[in-house]
Amino acid sequence: MSKVLDHLEEWLIAFLMAAATTIIFVAVVHRYLSAHPIPYVQDFLLGINLGWAQELCIIMFVWMAKFGAAYGVRTGIHVGVDVLINRLEDRTRGKFVIFGLLAGATFTAIVGTLGARFIWENGMHYATFSALGLDTGDLPEGPTTPDLEWPTWIVYSAVPLGSYLMCFRFLQVAWQFVRTGELPHHDHAAVKGMEEEPKPGDINWFALDNDLHPRDVKHHTIVDLGREPKDKEDRP
Amino acid sequence: MTALVIFGLLAALMITGMPISISLGLTVLIFLFTMTAVPLESVALKLFTGIEKFEIMAIPFFILAGNFLTHGGVARRMIAFATSMVGHWYGGLGLAAVLACALFAAVSGSSPATVVAIGSILIPAMVRSGFPKRFGAGVVASAGALGILIPPSIVMVMYAVATNASIGALFIAGIIPGLVLATMMGATTFYRAWKGNFPRQPKASWGARLEAFRDSMWGLFLIVVVIGGIYSGMFTPTEAAAMSAVYAFIVAVFVYKDLTFAEVPRVLLASANMSAMLLYIITNAVLFSFLLTHENIPLAIAEWMTSTGLGVIGFLLFVNVFLLLAGNFMEPSSIILISAPLLFPVAMKLGIDPIHFGVMITVNMEIGMLTPPVGLNLYVASGISRLGLTEMTIAVTPWLLTMLTFLMIVTYWPPLSLWLPRALGMIP
Repeated sequence: MSKVLDHLEEWLIAFLMAAATTIIFVAVVHRYLSAHPIPYVQDFLLGINLGWAQELCIIMFVWMAKFGAAYGVRTGIHVGVDVLINRLEDRTRGKFVIFGLLAGATFTAIVGTLGARFIWENGMHYATFSALGLDTGDLPEGPTTPDLEWPTWIVYSAVPLGSYLMCFRFLQVAWQFVRTGELPHHDHAAVKGMEEEPKPGDINWFALDNDLHPRDVKHHTIVDLGREPKDKEDRP
Repeated sequence: MTALVIFGLLAALMITGMPISISLGLTVLIFLFTMTAVPLESVALKLFTGIEKFEIMAIPFFILAGNFLTHGGVARRMIAFATSMVGHWYGGLGLAAVLACALFAAVSGSSPATVVAIGSILIPAMVRSGFPKRFGAGVVASAGALGILIPPSIVMVMYAVATNASIGALFIAGIIPGLVLATMMGATTFYRAWKGNFPRQPKASWGARLEAFRDSMWGLFLIVVVIGGIYSGMFTPTEAAAMSAVYAFIVAVFVYKDLTFAEVPRVLLASANMSAMLLYIITNAVLFSFLLTHENIPLAIAEWMTSTGLGVIGFLLFVNVFLLLAGNFMEPSSIILISAPLLFPVAMKLGIDPIHFGVMITVNMEIGMLTPPVGLNLYVASGISRLGLTEMTIAVTPWLLTMLTFLMIVTYWPPLSLWLPRALGMIP
């Protein structure tokens, strides 16, 4: 179950990234091609309206941002100011780490609830009731987006969904930390590279073991890290 | 008073080591719950609308383009071209590193990406040809900082997002300072190599140079796409970023073939991971600056600053010191998003040009990437060269001093940044 969720999350954000790029690329190419008087082609292109491309791109990236932020908790990419706590001894630092993770869970839970209430009042309530055939009374139907004319509550549901997922991830990481003393991090390149030069494209500078992230309390030995399975993010 | 509470709370939360995005958001929530009567609905709305700007979307596109480009081929050919041009002078590969970083900076919007791309090829090569490792790691880590000054630049997009400045004008304004800084770094490299009598490369014939240039054409053309596209008005900055992502994908997968099709999803996922993290900081920073504006703090600070009689010179000095200190503990995007809403109104009140101010902040961020304990370029270069952080810090010192000198020039001589955009009619 958890594995399925992991994969779904990875597929979703990688897909959104690719799709948004493709859409903007196609829209730009379309704009320039349809300006040239090529017989038939121009008429055909002018018949296609891509005015919604920008809006769809924004929606996709907002969704990517919300779900990607949840994925980021799992990969430990969120940067912080860890200069101080990384100089504390393990036990004290452990407490700070737990505090930080729980603060993250609290924040995302509140934001998720605020968001859920917001979309419920701005169209979801109406949509649910009318779908069930109940009396909608004077409930607002809720606004739609300007170009695509999608109901905004569906678009904005990224906030509650993404935030609750992120909350779950924070709790998951906290639970794992309590149990094993480990935090997610993928700085294995530094160890793997002992024999070989690291492959340039595989260095993620926001995810190195450094003072932008808390150090965990389990002391890794080189052998230890070497045996760890390939990074999770290697298989989208 | 309110300002003290808000910033005290933010500082207290940040120092516990929680993600910056979370500490920004929590500060806002705690403050709103306990001290004001702002309806929470307005907060909910901000959560949605905070990043609904097409300009912001340039960031994920530039990150994606950068991740395609760091996969070897483009950087390797740029290095070959740079070496054929300047490798025979004093400094040899070191000088080539500066030139290659400047070239790569013109296609990538991030400094650590530049260090990764150029450094992972050139640092081992420099060590093999007889340079001390410190010299090699130092020159690449420092010259890699050009990545955010020479356009495109993710940090400049962040500044534009926080202040509503024009991304296009900022990019164009970064060109001349970028070239000047590259020249100054080259001079430092030249001098140090001449004193240390480091090896030089054999002089390449013009034929070989032309060959190397043709070879690197695919990468260099990207400069035309981004800068030319934005300047000519063919693309908006975000569209240019998307075009460069597609172009970089085609070059990496089909032309130079240093990336197989099967590896593409991994690049997409890594880029999504990085951009989502930055976008999440932006969302919460928007929320935070909404709180500041709601409490009238930027205005109060602007009035207080001007009432202290701090002139333009004093204010700019203060900003530089403040940002350099912040650069020791945080990464650039967060610094800009948190401090720009505060510093910008003061700068406007003192009549400082927004574009000049942006270029100056960018140079500050470059230096911040080279100063411990938190310096992204240092981390990356130390990962490649296996030098410790302390050794890396010593290694970059000569270039760091060069950059501090350059910072003074940029700060107190605005025409350096403003001449080109003005000549092109992009700013009044």
